[in-house]
Amino acid sequence: MSLTIEPAGTSAAEASLPAPRWRHRHLLDLDGLDWSEIEVLLRTAEDMRGVLARPIARVPALRGRTVTILFYEASTRTRVSFEVAAKNLSADVVNITASASSVSKGESLVDTVRTIESLGANMLVMRHATSGAPYLAAETFSGSVVNGGDGWHAHPSQGLLDLFTMRRHLGDLRGRKVAIVGDILHSRVARSNIWALTAAGAELWLCGPATLLRGFEAWAGSWRGTAGGPDGRKGFVVTSDLRAALRDADVVMTLRIQRERQAGGLLPSLREYAARFGITRERLRGARPDALVMHPGPMNEGVEIAPDVAVGSGSVISEQVRNGVAVRMAILHLLSGTLAGSTAPVEGTARG
Amino acid sequence: MAEVEAVVAPGETIAELDVTRAWLIDPASGREGPGEIVVEEGRVGAVTWLDGTEADGIAPDGVIVAPGFVDLHAHFREPGFEQAETIATGSAAAAHGGFTTVCLMPNTRPAIDEAAVLVAVGQAAAASGSPVRVLAYGAVTHGRAGEELAALGELADAGAIGFSDDGSPVRSAGVLRNALLYAAMLDLPIVDHPEEQGLTGGAEANEGLVATVLGLKGWPAAAEAAAVARDIAVLADVVATEPRARLHLTHLSVAESIDLVRRAKAAGLPVTCDVTPHHLALTDEWIAGARRYAWQAEGVNPDPWRDRALVAGPFDTSLRVNPPLRRPADVMACLAGLRDGTVDAIATDHAPHTRVDKDVEFGLAANGISGIETALGLLLEAVAAGQVPLGRVIAALTVGPARILGSRLPAPIGLNEGAPADLMIFDAGDRWEVNETSLRSLGHNSPLLGRALPGRVLLTVAAGRVAYLDEADPDRD
Amino acid sequence: MSGRQIMTAEEIRRATIRISHEIVEKHAGTEGLALVGIQRRGVPLAGRIAAAIAEHEGVLLPVGALDITFYRDDLSLIAQQPLVKGTDLPFDLNGATIVLVDDVLYTGRTIRAAMDALIDFGRPRAIRLAVLVDRGHRELPIRADHVGKNVPTSREELVRVHLAETDGGDGVEIERPTPALAAAG
Repeated sequence: MSLTIEPAGTSAAEASLPAPRWRHRHLLDLDGLDWSEIEVLLRTAEDMRGVLARPIARVPALRGRTVTILFYEASTRTRVSFEVAAKNLSADVVNITASASSVSKGESLVDTVRTIESLGANMLVMRHATSGAPYLAAETFSGSVVNGGDGWHAHPSQGLLDLFTMRRHLGDLRGRKVAIVGDILHSRVARSNIWALTAAGAELWLCGPATLLRGFEAWAGSWRGTAGGPDGRKGFVVTSDLRAALRDADVVMTLRIQRERQAGGLLPSLREYAARFGITRERLRGARPDALVMHPGPMNEGVEIAPDVAVGSGSVISEQVRNGVAVRMAILHLLSGTLAGSTAPVEGTARG
Repeated sequence: MAEVEAVVAPGETIAELDVTRAWLIDPASGREGPGEIVVEEGRVGAVTWLDGTEADGIAPDGVIVAPGFVDLHAHFREPGFEQAETIATGSAAAAHGGFTTVCLMPNTRPAIDEAAVLVAVGQAAAASGSPVRVLAYGAVTHGRAGEELAALGELADAGAIGFSDDGSPVRSAGVLRNALLYAAMLDLPIVDHPEEQGLTGGAEANEGLVATVLGLKGWPAAAEAAAVARDIAVLADVVATEPRARLHLTHLSVAESIDLVRRAKAAGLPVTCDVTPHHLALTDEWIAGARRYAWQAEGVNPDPWRDRALVAGPFDTSLRVNPPLRRPADVMACLAGLRDGTVDAIATDHAPHTRVDKDVEFGLAANGISGIETALGLLLEAVAAGQVPLGRVIAALTVGPARILGSRLPAPIGLNEGAPADLMIFDAGDRWEVNETSLRSLGHNSPLLGRALPGRVLLTVAAGRVAYLDEADPDRD
Repeated sequence: MSGRQIMTAEEIRRATIRISHEIVEKHAGTEGLALVGIQRRGVPLAGRIAAAIAEHEGVLLPVGALDITFYRDDLSLIAQQPLVKGTDLPFDLNGATIVLVDDVLYTGRTIRAAMDALIDFGRPRAIRLAVLVDRGHRELPIRADHVGKNVPTSREELVRVHLAETDGGDGVEIERPTPALAAAG
């Protein structure tokens, strides 16, 4: 894999390069994408932003396709974002939430997916509390499966929209310092960002209380060796030293802290977390003056992020939401090119 | 070229068997080498060891004859879960794997916590028509709930070979202490499944790189090592006043546990242990989608993502097992323990499950691998890779478990002239594909499906009767 | 594959100039006129036509680029999603007369998609169509207002347009796949 980032729109150079292709039927994780594929997706998302800026933000790319959104976990933001994305592409959208379906009657995931397929779905966007659940769905479903978040494992569309947002502000991320602060252990957002940001060449720091970082030191250690990480990725840094993580950071991303962590014995209290790891205006002074502030939402203002920081000058939190729609449009559009009826062989493994 | 001539019918007493120019392994006498064996009317007629020019060209890479294997740890699911396995199908699977004696765990429904259930298991074994010897443990505690002792004395009288709450550890050190004392009085071992459950609530995969990357809840090595340490400390305490107490630790999987047992044995404590074939070959990398054996992944920092070793999809639930598949370094430590004798036996922990229990999300899937038929094949892979000598593997499948069972094993192990034949014959040079047709078990929950394993079993004879016959080649010569 | 040249660089140049005259003549001037090239080769062609008009009329018309990826109706027939090249319409379409420019007119489906796309950006007073090559075989009731060259073809043949801006040189070739390739593809 090459980490070279070609400036977009140089047609002469573009003409001489073999056109990068999107060959994945599913998007389940970012670990199977190399940089050229991520770039295809980011460029497509850029164009989708153009669509969103039109007076009528709708194109017929998915006309006649049905996108089923199956969420086993409560989520407004991601579900609505996928729904808007699918509708902007003129897809028919079917929404299934766990409480409203036979899921609550003990129907297995495999049965549910078969039923959804029989009802004519071409694409399935799913969220599930169990890591790996979308892989099981992808084994059963003949169309495309998009992982909308599975357990602690992956949230690929979030990782891509975070990367997209950073690139819009900072351009090439090589050598740029990104600090992700919070509950890393339980975060699928952190995991997807590790794959996305290390592919982009960013200098990534993960920071949080030791109990919420467990295991990541071993992961970082694995990539610190002489061989580095997969596809020539550089390693990343894992620390509980917030000051060091924030020092000269170009991006500060905080993650939601859930109250259950206190009950689970991982944290003394949310108050103590806020006092030691909350991102405040004062602490942000250690970062670069123009540092971007990001949060995948929903926020606990006053816990992991101070209210004035969330809406402060560097905050791109609202823009993350807008970019989320463009990135998800790009995902659905690219995957739809590999659906049934295509004449080319499609990489159909669950590795996606 | 070895020749096997036989007049046999499945289930019947073996009429005639004549194996010439094969490789014989007899761990009971410590002999291994070129030889010939004759069986007549169910009894071993003659065992001839070849030497000199007669032995030329005979190597342990073709037909091998060994005593029938003994499995210290299997689940045949009857009574209660007959859709996953029955004593009849489990016995057929055992014979296909070369086993002639199996020791069943009591986590059935109802649990084997009183004599009547044990008697019913014996009746089902007799009714199955299989000559495979079916032995069973009783539960340590009533309903395996970890509180009141089960009917240990009555279970012993009904033929229990020991006591275990397997599936769970003996919950408290206090209960374990009393159980060791009481079982010592009955001259039976306590078999513990070592797991400190305070560290394994909701755990899904070995704590390490793979679990971290895949977002699976980690199952720390310390959960096993802490329980092993507890058990050994309690044993030392009991042995001080009751020297007959015996503790067997089953399915050890981490380097720290092996080391604790090694030291306890050096201190003279009556502790024994087993490991499973899957913990001697497979690693947590398989959950990520790697399909390389532990010794192929060995190195300073194995990372299946970086090593481009991912060849299958992740989250295959057939890999979900308790204890979980561990790091390559742990497998290497288990192999070292097997080589140096710290590990007394290899036990399969054969744990068949239905599709309903396995075709679900990884975190919701039942723990267990259907492994009694693939045990020999996996172990031969380790032998072929130079990780452990063949003779040591066969010993750990025969005399090793026999020593733990002691007088509860109905017949001595060995290729003994005049004794009822109890042996298995396999071709180390032939492979067979693991698939839903070749497996005799109802449980197809094997991560090895689709793989060709070495060591096709040709014939298994238990107590003089044919338990398994390779139908692909009935008149093999 | 065997290629037969049907237009030289010089012929392309002359056709472009002729089309530029026809466009102005048909519109009776340049007022309210804009050119929109369809990605990819329609874009440089639109630029060339605009340059020719600037030369003889002294007026530089607005030129835009249109990507029709999201509007195609044949996605299930193509191997993989084509990469988006980008849409750039730096002028108000409302009330303007738009000349769509493309290299080859064939089934008409591309033009149908382009008209759909264009209309999503505004309401032009009129849409006209200029193409370098018309090879026939229409599947929709669409015709070009301005054609560089009409070329009779069979469906098996491929028409390849090369332009300096995208391909390093100008020329149009007609290619007939060898039987083996035709069978495979």
